[in-house]
Amino acid sequence: MFHTTFYIRRLHSICGLAVLGMVLFEHIFTNSMAIFGPAALNGALEMMELIPKPIFLGLELGGIAIPLLFHAIYGVYIALQANNNASNYGYCRNRNFTLQRWTAWYLVIFLIWHVGYLRLYTKGITGTPISYELLQNYFQNPVVVVLYVLGMFAAIFHFCNGITTFCMTWGITKGPRSQNVVSVLSMGLCAILCLITLTFMGSYLI
Amino acid sequence: MAKDMTKKKIIIVGGGISGLLAAIKVCELGGEVLLFSYCPVKRSHSLCAQGGINACMDTKGEHDSVYEHFDDTVYGGDFLADQIAVKGMVEAAPKLIKMFDRMGVPFTRTPEGVLDLRNFGGQKNKRTCFAGSTTGQQILYALDEQVRRWEVKGSVKKYEFWEFIKIVKNKEGICRGIIAQSMNTMKIEAFRADTVILATGGPGQVFGRCTASTICNGSAVSAVYQQGAEIANPEFIQIHPTAIPGSDKNRLMSEACRGEGGRVWVYKDGKPWYFLEEMYPAYGNLVPRDIASRAIYKVCVHMGLGINGENRVYLDLSHIPADYLERKLGGILEMYSEFVGKDPRKVPMEIFPSVHYSMGGIWVDRKHNTNIPGLMASGECDYQYHGANRLGANSLLSAAYSGTISGPEAMNWAKNGNKGSEISDAELEAARAEVQEEYDRIVNMSGEENAHKLHHEMGDIMYKYVAIERDNNGLDQGLIELKKLLKRWDNIGLTDHSKTANQEAMFVRQLRNMILYAMAITKSARMRDESRGAHAKIKLENGQQVHDADGELVFMPRDDKNFMFTSIVNYDPKTEEPVVTYREFDHSLIKPRPRSYAVAKKE
Amino acid sequence: MAEKKVRFVIERQDSPESQPYTQEFDVDYRPGLNVVAALMEIQKNPVTVDGKKVAPVVWECNCLEKVCGACMMVINGRARQACCALVDEIEQPIHLAPARTFPVIRDLLIDRTRMFEALKKIQGWVELDGSWDVKDAPIQNPYTAQTAYEISHCMTCGCCLEACPNVGPQSDFIGPAPTVQAYLFNLHPLGKFDKPKRLNALMEKGGITSCGNSQNCVEVCPKFIKLTTYLAQLNRDVNIQALKNIFNN
Repeated sequence: MFHTTFYIRRLHSICGLAVLGMVLFEHIFTNSMAIFGPAALNGALEMMELIPKPIFLGLELGGIAIPLLFHAIYGVYIALQANNNASNYGYCRNRNFTLQRWTAWYLVIFLIWHVGYLRLYTKGITGTPISYELLQNYFQNPVVVVLYVLGMFAAIFHFCNGITTFCMTWGITKGPRSQNVVSVLSMGLCAILCLITLTFMGSYLI
Repeated sequence: MAKDMTKKKIIIVGGGISGLLAAIKVCELGGEVLLFSYCPVKRSHSLCAQGGINACMDTKGEHDSVYEHFDDTVYGGDFLADQIAVKGMVEAAPKLIKMFDRMGVPFTRTPEGVLDLRNFGGQKNKRTCFAGSTTGQQILYALDEQVRRWEVKGSVKKYEFWEFIKIVKNKEGICRGIIAQSMNTMKIEAFRADTVILATGGPGQVFGRCTASTICNGSAVSAVYQQGAEIANPEFIQIHPTAIPGSDKNRLMSEACRGEGGRVWVYKDGKPWYFLEEMYPAYGNLVPRDIASRAIYKVCVHMGLGINGENRVYLDLSHIPADYLERKLGGILEMYSEFVGKDPRKVPMEIFPSVHYSMGGIWVDRKHNTNIPGLMASGECDYQYHGANRLGANSLLSAAYSGTISGPEAMNWAKNGNKGSEISDAELEAARAEVQEEYDRIVNMSGEENAHKLHHEMGDIMYKYVAIERDNNGLDQGLIELKKLLKRWDNIGLTDHSKTANQEAMFVRQLRNMILYAMAITKSARMRDESRGAHAKIKLENGQQVHDADGELVFMPRDDKNFMFTSIVNYDPKTEEPVVTYREFDHSLIKPRPRSYAVAKKE
Repeated sequence: MAEKKVRFVIERQDSPESQPYTQEFDVDYRPGLNVVAALMEIQKNPVTVDGKKVAPVVWECNCLEKVCGACMMVINGRARQACCALVDEIEQPIHLAPARTFPVIRDLLIDRTRMFEALKKIQGWVELDGSWDVKDAPIQNPYTAQTAYEISHCMTCGCCLEACPNVGPQSDFIGPAPTVQAYLFNLHPLGKFDKPKRLNALMEKGGITSCGNSQNCVEVCPKFIKLTTYLAQLNRDVNIQALKNIFNN
């Protein structure tokens, strides 16, 4: 017998942490350039344009689109197997478990919108390059800002909580103490990344 | 699926240690087992055994011997146990322990990794193997796992949540099957078998509040007793000295507490009085259970020295290091904290004796055949091995050992026994229909009485007249009151007429069996005019209890001439009353001698 | 003197197919009263607070000492053993409900067959040649034996399954208790011979991969078994087993 479920689950785990984690970091890093003004961000975006098109497209497809679709679709299947019960069992880890699924649902919708509008429609179909000015214009709408901040927070939490559960799933942290340490560290990372996000999102508004 | 029709079919009722071990033996011999139980077998009452299991392992440098174990058991049982049977058991004990060890019972170990041993009551040497304070649970689980393995292989079919109701006999009076009822769907069915083994445990619930589980009601034993099986020595009911009194149940506080150094005391003249150590200097707190229970009873009831005037004494572990206690007794100390709300590592526990175990049960020969051919009994529901009093940690041993005897013997009977005529479908259906009719009658009972209240009253009667101290006045009175109770049973009314999991109807049926069993205990106690082991009878003169010069109660002495016999109780279907006779048993190996725990044992 | 009463709000159900409904009962208070003892009082006098005479509440219990695992139910929203649920220590009125992770048979009585079936799947036993005498059993490391003893306390009560968000009709997860039992047998000097079999069984659908690390199991385990620790250890073990499966063949 070939343990299909087992390998898919483990792939789901590693793809979430390693591949999509990279994507998240790339986004935060690039966008944080906005803190230093339009020139810095546009510079960073142009840097990316230096990558030859076929390679860039390959990266987008193999490094983002496919892993993301896999992680999202299989993730939905996993989330459907849970019957969240944090109202009766309000332990920290169980709340995080529930939050992990809620953020996942939000991210599915958010990413369809984000990728669909910015990458596929704006950049792909109309051919408009993404720039500081475009984003600033986009973020004039407060609803968009709020949804984007929430989307970033959701992705960051989902990723950071994912570090904790990844360590359990792969048997890296075994005892409660080591699990707690990783949990605290990853929540610390979560807080830092959220702060950075708030800062660069705020920079569009000032 | 082609089924092997030549496979012998053995029905085992009860999934405790004895039943499961018998099942394993039957499977190993190529038989097929139908295993009936009130509950998933993993929840059987065997798991309440705490302290350990006796076996002469002699790994503590004490020169323990199998003979010593044999002698302790016979002496502890006040010379009423069949000595050949006991000898077989103690000889097999070390092998059984090794088997359990291989099966994965997590026995507590020494730093060297071999099995640790502890002291237990009525024994001078360390002889008790244990898994913390949950030995019964661990052994039961290991057997449950092995039976599950056989279940996967197709040799065992479990009927869990099924109640055994009665056996089915053929024209020659040979047991050929059983009638049982599903406790969830209430369906009543008949099952054929080559041999039936009852391993249904003790009758603790006859006393209402006891250390037994709610499922230990003796109903199955009473059912076969009403069908002609003989009951032996039912008057010997062990009262465990250290239980936590409770209104729903008296929770056992293992003898291991005393084995690990626990001391029993009360305040006397403002100072702690370690009365067991004073009364029995040779054994101290490690006297057998009947002795300890009577001493506690005397101190509380006759001397009025119980804690705050109540029926309680202290069992003190607070002088023992907490980490040692945690390792050796963790499970039960946690239970005490949980149910009482006090930490026994810091303050003494408050305990009082409680009904615990029945030495008596269905009469069996040394191969565990009852007097009904084709019907066997195994475990606490039989009477073998313990005589008039059981030593602590011998019950797990007897449960396991009896399973290793009854299983193979069941196969032997199935292959070689004279089973008489086959039972026809019509006969089987007739037997089933009779049970169905009785059940339907019960469901429609509409009298005034509540079965659970009657049960409570029965417990009160039994504790009042048939417990630690008995006298003939009380026993006569007890019988009268039990008969009244039996009459009142007819006037029970049910509120539950459901066809799903009707626990009330089942309980009503069990209650009648319990009352009849209670009558057997009481009558048998009434007839035995002596004190022996757990049966202590106060001397009467002109109908009054006799006191000696110091004002202490005078008990009847042991009377080997007239009563060194097994009590045999038969059911008289006409009067519904028990009929007591006496039967010889083998006591050829160790000569009876007076039993005293004030001095060291002399052989 | 007005006697103190304890109010019970009980979720009842007449049969596996019928709809649940609630009934309320008052039980006389006494010190040390627990939920099972209260249900026993209701048996003696099955009358609701409205004075209606009804069928007594059906539930399962055996030992009343917290070792048999039978009386698990949902008390004030949490899965636990009813016998050691002292009335003094829980909020009143006391809400009782069956553990609906499992099929309900009647009232508080549930069908936990799936747990025992799961123990078959993980091959929860030591493969013994027979119950006969072989030779001395192997010596065991006393520390390992202590770990085994802890895990072997599992009484298959189902608290962890009821509390686990990933166990239920919507999922095929066998649950924390049976999963961790596999580790118990992997620890035994003879049981470890079949460790690869058990780990491979855990890699099947509904096995350990269905664990979502909500860690409710360890919080509700009435026997304080360090379930999450052993789950993590098993995760480690199955990962290694997976590598062996790939590279050793």
